[in-house]
Amino acid sequence: MAMSKEELKAAILKKAQTAAKPQLYVKDFYECDPESKPRDVKNAANDLVKEGKMDFWSSGSTTMYAAKGRAKDEEHRG
Amino acid sequence: MPKHDTPLLDELEKGPWPSFVTDIKRQAATKPECWDILGQLELSYRDKITHWKHGGIVGVFGYGGGIVGRYSDVPTKFPGVAHFHTVRLNQPSGMYYSTAKLRAICDLWQKYGSGMTNMHGSTGDLVLLGTTTPNLEPLFYELTHNLNQDLGGSGSNLRTPSCCLGKSRCEWACIDTQAVCYAMTMKYQDEIHRPAFPYKFKFKFSGCPNDCVASIARSDLSVIGTWRDNIRIDQAAVKKYLSGEYKSNAGAHSGRDWGKFDIKKEVINLCPTKCMHMEGDTLKIDNAECTRCMHCINVMPRALRPGAEQGATILVGAKAPILDGAQFATMIIPFMKVDAENEFEDLVNIIEGIWDWWMENGKNRERVGESIQRVGLPTFLKVLNVEPIPQHIKEPRSNPYIFWEAEEVEGGWDRDVREFRKRHAQ
Repeated sequence: MAMSKEELKAAILKKAQTAAKPQLYVKDFYECDPESKPRDVKNAANDLVKEGKMDFWSSGSTTMYAAKGRAKDEEHRG
Repeated sequence: MPKHDTPLLDELEKGPWPSFVTDIKRQAATKPECWDILGQLELSYRDKITHWKHGGIVGVFGYGGGIVGRYSDVPTKFPGVAHFHTVRLNQPSGMYYSTAKLRAICDLWQKYGSGMTNMHGSTGDLVLLGTTTPNLEPLFYELTHNLNQDLGGSGSNLRTPSCCLGKSRCEWACIDTQAVCYAMTMKYQDEIHRPAFPYKFKFKFSGCPNDCVASIARSDLSVIGTWRDNIRIDQAAVKKYLSGEYKSNAGAHSGRDWGKFDIKKEVINLCPTKCMHMEGDTLKIDNAECTRCMHCINVMPRALRPGAEQGATILVGAKAPILDGAQFATMIIPFMKVDAENEFEDLVNIIEGIWDWWMENGKNRERVGESIQRVGLPTFLKVLNVEPIPQHIKEPRSNPYIFWEAEEVEGGWDRDVREFRKRHAQ
């Protein structure tokens, strides 16, 4: 049975905070709950961004997700 | 007074053609940061490497697209372009806007950005080039509250849908491209403004097979107006073309004398499927063989028109050459009705069927056309519940295109070969 939305958000946030790479593709979160549909995983990840717990990192052509504070902006990388 | 010496760029002002260098120098009179664009570009020409970094956590609240972060990797040398973000604005369908609207957008961009624009980007957006992170939110507030203007798409989002001017001005439009483009833009606002996919996804809508927005070459989902019945022929008008009373190509290319109109040379012999011929002075078309190339209609628009039973062909999977080489879209649905009456339900079902499959099966940074190439067209057709037809491949007579599964064949793969040979001698 698929996780509830809140459970899914908690699992996504945990993965974003603990993964070795600071920036993750949306597909990397699918494994948080293989029972959930990709669209539900995407919506949960986007909700976390709206809540200020995650950031979008975009190259312009690809978008990735990062837990708040984990991804450095280019202007801070030097 | 130039801030940097730009001898290499200055060469680009010497030809007879308009020069972007001259334009940027002119803009620098009111926006001094434009000198730093020229300075950085001159350095790139000397170093033979770009000095732009791209990407970052830039955007406006609630949106995951529409702003593309751009940063200089030599910000101390060129502080005016330390941040130089791009803003994409969703263009109106068919790119119709008043000069008042354009002036308002330009005034706003002069206030919050470099004043430089690119109209339009390859997805159709109005592209505003160069602003800083602190200016993004105030700009977005004024765009949305004062100009009723939204951002377009970027990143792994649905990109800004675009369309030709369709039935607003074109007699050949077989679908109302502006209506369907607007409806899909409004329906999929979440997908445009927030990332949803393994990579970018583009819609484009063309009213007829002339495909003025080049959807077949540039969009992941291409909707091209077409007809199912016969090309409508006005034989009296055909005779007027033959007599020279009507100018071919609606008078285009008439700047020089091309000689008398020759229907055999200029139309019939150029038909890619050879489906036309003359019987006396009557034009005959074998419509079953027509591939909708539009050439005959383009040459004789007063005599020939698209058929009356109109809809669209759906193609999937075009892309530009970044990873795997350029790819045209593959025809998937030869004909379907595209009706506002049922809120484009058939099209929506196709779109969402493709998305559901691609979101699950597409790899990161893989366009849907590349996913199809990886798994094979038969697999993709099964996902969409589309029966394979010869038109799905280029050479149906020489290229086997149906791979039968064991359950589709009587007896599967475990048939008794000796029994079979009794009926089919070797």
